Amino acid sequence: MRRVYLDHSATTPVDPRVVEAMLPFLTGKFGNPSSVHFYGQEARAAVDRARRQVAELFGARPNEVVFTSGGTESNNLAVRGHCETTADYGRHIVTSSIEHSSVRGICEALERRDWEVTRLPVYEDGLVRVEDVRAALRPDTVLVSVMLANNEIGTVQPIAEIGALVRERREAGQKHLRLHTDAVQAASGMRLDVDELGCDLLSVSAHKLYAPKGVGALYVRRGLRLAPQNVGGHQERERRGGTESVPLIVAFGEAARLTRLELEERAERIRSLRDRFESGVESRVADIVYNGDRARRLPGLSNISFRFIEGEGLLINLDMQGVAVSTGSACSSGSLEPSPVIRALGRDDELARGSIRFSLGKDTTEEEIDYVLEVLPRAVENLRRLSPLYQKAVGSRQMAVGSALRVKDVES
Amino acid sequence: MSVTYSDTFKEHLANPRNAGTLEGADAEAEQTNPVCGDRLRLALRVRGGRVESARFLAYGCPPTIACGSALAGMLEGMTLEEAARLTRSDITEAAGGLPPRKQHAAALAYETLQEALQQAEARP
Repeated sequence: MRRVYLDHSATTPVDPRVVEAMLPFLTGKFGNPSSVHFYGQEARAAVDRARRQVAELFGARPNEVVFTSGGTESNNLAVRGHCETTADYGRHIVTSSIEHSSVRGICEALERRDWEVTRLPVYEDGLVRVEDVRAALRPDTVLVSVMLANNEIGTVQPIAEIGALVRERREAGQKHLRLHTDAVQAASGMRLDVDELGCDLLSVSAHKLYAPKGVGALYVRRGLRLAPQNVGGHQERERRGGTESVPLIVAFGEAARLTRLELEERAERIRSLRDRFESGVESRVADIVYNGDRARRLPGLSNISFRFIEGEGLLINLDMQGVAVSTGSACSSGSLEPSPVIRALGRDDELARGSIRFSLGKDTTEEEIDYVLEVLPRAVENLRRLSPLYQKAVGSRQMAVGSALRVKDVES
Repeated sequence: MSVTYSDTFKEHLANPRNAGTLEGADAEAEQTNPVCGDRLRLALRVRGGRVESARFLAYGCPPTIACGSALAGMLEGMTLEEAARLTRSDITEAAGGLPPRKQHAAALAYETLQEALQQAEARP
């Protein structure tokens, strides 16, 4: 069966060049970077090189990079690590209502420990407003944590403007206030620069960049102290104890290097395929709603709600035809509530349940998109034929058309 | 949460049996799961105490569709007494099995069946 992978926001396949770079560190070059002998120094040099490569991905200095096990750990280290060191100065966090579940979960955990959290709304476009951030800031706010690009709808938040605001407040005397941004989704689709963004902490994950799972990084601006969340080892300049996973770190370094080299070319190609996909869907399927601002979003992501049907049914129908996507329906997440991100856009439950995320990757082809455009309309049609909501809507439309005709008859 | 569905289940989803509505139905029941919003509609035509035709419509997660398909498929040809003896697990089994967290779909199908049978029996 033909298979088309359109779930690159979930994870990406490992680039063969990345595999090649990491393999020697799974075999002969197995040393512990903390060892003083040859083996250890060989591993240390590889970790140092990877650290430079990852730092270059977001315009940082190598010693501002902490390797972690991935995006979730980076977010934990950033938010908890900062909050634990600043609790004496304030216990208020500003975040958005569409953060990744890791940031959401950490904020909820802090609330149980008497922190206050302000969750900024997003509007129908899926974007946070800088004025809302300004209004939410208090003298005891120590952290603003807003993601750079959303993982479900791909909208790109105005982090540089928020960064400027945070800096302004800090310069006015609120010296413990910092900005964290979760750039896990953004890194594959847009160029990152920590100085342009004005952030103090930035999370990235390797497996969204064609490297293996299990490794990520946190950018920590020079001078910022974090309470380590993994203690008991001196690694990562006391910020994250534990022997470094050299092969994964090397892989991440190579993936970061390739991303930096190829980003514009990848993004351009992916954007044009995404646009081809969306215009194809529009011309073949009625009653769809796009989720999130279509201009300010990542190039490879398209989130569409299909009216009258439920997302997991569509997901499984597509999967049976070899097309892999993801959905914001409650069924898939195992919760009863459909995607809080889609709900935050002001969409009703039915639209939230019928949302599907198509996320393209650097190796997605035109033929693959055309195949999806062939099977998707059929799958939607099949599910709509079963849907009592659709039958009702079609029934009332036919009645509306009927009465319109009758009115016209009377008029003529 | 990841769930694995059986081939029978997927077959119900890919090629639902008895989907649609019925002209001149003797019973037309619709139930909604108040928690997740899933809906199931079941229409029956009964002749001589036997279900001659059964059709379903479903909005909701795949288990709801599979249970609707399985239920409507097995109802045809059954007497009303036989239909009344069907249990949730009969429906689950006919749908190809359900993961533990999706049992509510069989419950919804069962409730819809009970409402349809009441309507059918109330008819002269």
